[in-house]
Amino acid sequence: MHSGDMRARLLRVLLAGILVMMGGLVGSAAADETCQSPFLPKVTGQEDYIYVWTLGIKGVADGNDSMVTVDANPKSASYGKIIHRASVPGRHEAHHAGFTDDRRFLWAGGLDTSQIFIFDVGSNPAQPRLVKKISTFVKDTGGLVGPHTFYALPGRMLISALSNAQDSSGRTGLAEYSNDGKFIRTIWMPKEAPYGYDVRVNVNLNRMLTSSFSGKKNYMRPFGDLVKDAEAMKQFGSSVIVWDFHARKPLQILSVPGAPLELRWALLPNHHYAFTSTALTGKLVLIHQQADGTWAAKNIADIGDTIPVDISIAPDDSKVYVNTFMDGTLKVYDVSNPFEGKLIETVKLGEMANMVSSSWDGTRIYATNSLLSQWDKPGDYWLKAYAWEGGKLVPKFTTDFNPAGRAHIMNFGSKVFGPKAAAPASPAVRVSAYAAPR
Amino acid sequence: MRSVWAVFGLLAWVGGGLIVPPPVRAHEAASLEEEFVKGVFSPAFTPPAAGSYELPAVKRVPGVILKDLTGRSASTRQVTAGKVAVVSFIYTACPERLGCPLASLALQDLQAKLKEEGLGRHAILLSISFDPERDTPAQLAKYARIYGADPKLWRFMTASSERVLDHALEGYGQDRAPVYDERGRFTGRYRHVLKVFLLDPAGYIRNVYSAGFLVPDLVLNDIKTILGEGAPREVVER
Repeated sequence: MHSGDMRARLLRVLLAGILVMMGGLVGSAAADETCQSPFLPKVTGQEDYIYVWTLGIKGVADGNDSMVTVDANPKSASYGKIIHRASVPGRHEAHHAGFTDDRRFLWAGGLDTSQIFIFDVGSNPAQPRLVKKISTFVKDTGGLVGPHTFYALPGRMLISALSNAQDSSGRTGLAEYSNDGKFIRTIWMPKEAPYGYDVRVNVNLNRMLTSSFSGKKNYMRPFGDLVKDAEAMKQFGSSVIVWDFHARKPLQILSVPGAPLELRWALLPNHHYAFTSTALTGKLVLIHQQADGTWAAKNIADIGDTIPVDISIAPDDSKVYVNTFMDGTLKVYDVSNPFEGKLIETVKLGEMANMVSSSWDGTRIYATNSLLSQWDKPGDYWLKAYAWEGGKLVPKFTTDFNPAGRAHIMNFGSKVFGPKAAAPASPAVRVSAYAAPR
Repeated sequence: MRSVWAVFGLLAWVGGGLIVPPPVRAHEAASLEEEFVKGVFSPAFTPPAAGSYELPAVKRVPGVILKDLTGRSASTRQVTAGKVAVVSFIYTACPERLGCPLASLALQDLQAKLKEEGLGRHAILLSISFDPERDTPAQLAKYARIYGADPKLWRFMTASSERVLDHALEGYGQDRAPVYDERGRFTGRYRHVLKVFLLDPAGYIRNVYSAGFLVPDLVLNDIKTILGEGAPREVVER
């Protein structure tokens, strides 16, 4: 082939690339399943599966924690049903889980035993398979306890912990492992703000945020006891830390009283802000970059004394979804002006609503209802699916989790990420490319 | 700093000197694409100063015997030994404008920066093809010329078989899946996450960059950070 032919061919592929990209984006704003790492390829269309990291209940099935697959494709005969359950040995306080950067593996942690379970979801996306267990998290990290958020970095997994082995308080840090499961390093939180919870990166700004919860002696204690213990109730975090992501160095400690939990970066490129909610003080909080480059926190809505737990952001940054645990409600806030959250929709979900996840295109919302085994009230466990229709959230299905356990975090799966990728092609590259410029 | 339009011009140059017209009704995507390219070449942040942070080893990669542009076999370890290496996996038929082509433009920029800073003797760029069948040494040589690769600083290699390639991919932790059409026929395309690996002189991965964080200024500082560590780290299999 002559050099001229090669250039002509390059032009063709560049143009074809543009067409593929445009085709994928028309009719939808670019975003992700809105809570995932920007380093991940995203499920852009209809998700096929929802992987639910589920707490085992003694006497229910084998009693173990498990990765449960729910069929989420409306065209499927088993839509809304549990189609697979991959157990791990024992109960570990199953909590959060996250994909590796290539979406081939799903890491899931136990807050009580600090065990980490790695599931292969690439070989057969319908049936996650436990392929590796890391039992040395506490020893590897020099004393971190309670692996919480699993956040993909290129070639690595960034894990935020909740506690430590020395005194089970909230003093904690971040750990990094290679995708192969080898420990790389521990980064302890600064002394002035020792607590940890969530961790999220904005690659556009080279900034990382961490939030703050409480130690094992609180989160593994029965909720009724805990709230009566005034001293224990003081042992909750009250800050969000802004980091230089690349250097992994704290830059600024923002005062955000009342245990700020999940962090959600705005997704559009020029939106230099994030949201969080405070569990104990019931505020929706904006974390925003100021004109001088420094960061500030501002309360933008009063959610109420109902323990806001998980939050999710709409792909165009127009809305934030908040699940509140005490009254089992999904509240939708209009944050198109990020400095002022307006409540625009309320949906009664049911007891103990906890996690909430939005689809890539922003049209489907899923919720589950277990928070912590010692904090849940005995009841009914479920996953509920809703869709925006005519400006309202309409129920689509409820998956009964009582035969499986307590449903916690949800991650979306797709056949596209299986061993035989289907056309239209290369969503991984295309989407990771678009997901990055946030 | 290079403006985004200069970069688009460069892309157009790669495409044969023609201007790529923006498709109709695609202003939103075009704007995102612009933001993305801008994020690579004119990041909205100043990368932290070289030597002011740590780059702990992720893992050591195996040497793999591949073919160079002359068709001769060589170990990747021989190519990268004693230098800080920036290893990427690409294929010349990659249709994703913001995938392999943009990565190669970022590497081209890095190559120029390494020369400007007189670091050419201490660093090496190595691009390995995902596509052993079609990316022959001759095909890769054309690609190398189009991207202005200086053979002393930027090397290209391809595998003699799928098996050899799989060994390399596994060693680095790089995914790759062939893409099929509705009738189950291979489309000639591969799904892969764009990853570029930074290796120290002893062959340990010290950083990995993917779409959105493949910023030449940041990679340059990482290279200087490793070079500033002094003696190469002892090789310890972990």
